[in-house]
Amino acid sequence: MTFLFSAFVLTLLVVTALAIVRTGNLFVAIMLTGIFSLLMAVIFFLLDAPDVALTEATIGAGISTVLFLGALALTGEHERTGSTNRPLALVVVIATALIVIYATFDKPRFGDPQAPVQQHVAPWYLEHTPESIDIPNSVTAVLGSFRGYDTLGEVFVVFTAGIGVLILLGSAPAMRSGKDRTRPVRSSEGLRHYLIPRVVGRFLIPVILLFGLYVQFHGDYGPGGGFQAGALIAAAFILYALLEGKEQALAVLPRQVLTALMVGGALLYGGVGVASMLLGGNFLDYSVLTSNPITGQHIGLLLIEVGVGATVMGVLLSVFHAFAARGGHEKC
Amino acid sequence: MYYVAIIATLTTMALALIRALLGPSVYDRVLAVNMFGTKTVLLLSIIAFLSGRPDFLDLALAYALINFIGVLAVLEFFRRGAIRKASNNKAGD
Repeated sequence: MTFLFSAFVLTLLVVTALAIVRTGNLFVAIMLTGIFSLLMAVIFFLLDAPDVALTEATIGAGISTVLFLGALALTGEHERTGSTNRPLALVVVIATALIVIYATFDKPRFGDPQAPVQQHVAPWYLEHTPESIDIPNSVTAVLGSFRGYDTLGEVFVVFTAGIGVLILLGSAPAMRSGKDRTRPVRSSEGLRHYLIPRVVGRFLIPVILLFGLYVQFHGDYGPGGGFQAGALIAAAFILYALLEGKEQALAVLPRQVLTALMVGGALLYGGVGVASMLLGGNFLDYSVLTSNPITGQHIGLLLIEVGVGATVMGVLLSVFHAFAARGGHEKC
Repeated sequence: MYYVAIIATLTTMALALIRALLGPSVYDRVLAVNMFGTKTVLLLSIIAFLSGRPDFLDLALAYALINFIGVLAVLEFFRRGAIRKASNNKAGD
């Protein structure tokens, strides 16, 4: 039965993807991307991957819609139509598709216990999580401890992406303060005059923040962790910025703080690695952090999750403010 | 019981998707996406109970909280668009 549901959701996914490609209106494409992300999360959930589904929920359905709309406010709503008649491109695409479909015939059946992915390192991780890390959520154990290097790399990728966006959209603090003075107040009032969103939003913001902290610190026991928590907390602040205006949001959480979070999170993660080296272990081997190896693992995981959360939150909010500042500037 | 609920929710999702694809107005699509989000929350909750892991309700909670932000962003986007259009018209006069 679950197989049928998955097939149905996958069909909806393909329909949505085709519609995104076909539509010329970028606003419609953004709305459909939201639906695509929701469907994707359902599929992740059906495949028993709640951690990934939670990430997709917070980033895909929530924040990327906001960021896409911010980008759309800087450009036009309609896609520029180029020449649609390119036979060579069509041939290349069809040939690639056929090759990929042919390659899938060699893949192991879905859920096959003999598949290479079930035979390689995964059993070792599942076997050693209880004895060497002792947390119920083995996904967090793999991400944070066994494959700590990879996650460190991911954090630096997020960090680099954030810096890239900030360089492109040019929101250095010194430049911004100059612009702020010349900007008319009107552009920054947010949705302050709309009573219902404001009342509901006021009620929701603390709940989202609380939930974000829960996801952050409950990552060892249930789905969640630093990435998801950082995105959720960023979503709460984005909601605040939408309701009260960007200036108010920046007054609560200034750009310098966001940059500090961005850098500090990555530094904290790297610092834990260096600390474990100084204490005589390998890089990112948390067992040496305290006398008891398992407590050391717990402390190490907690610290790096905080680092991941801080970086993700700082990057997302910085990018959001960079887009928002551009939009406001262009208007005046 | 759970299966009936899942089938009903999936049907509603398909209908909402059709509305989002056909439009015709922007508000139809916004409403369709919002509806789709709500149905996703429901579907995730039902699947969580079906697979006997109600602790995965966390996820549905996250959706329910996040869904609102996207709709507000759309509202803000149109408000800004309206302001820009108004100021453009004024410049044209």
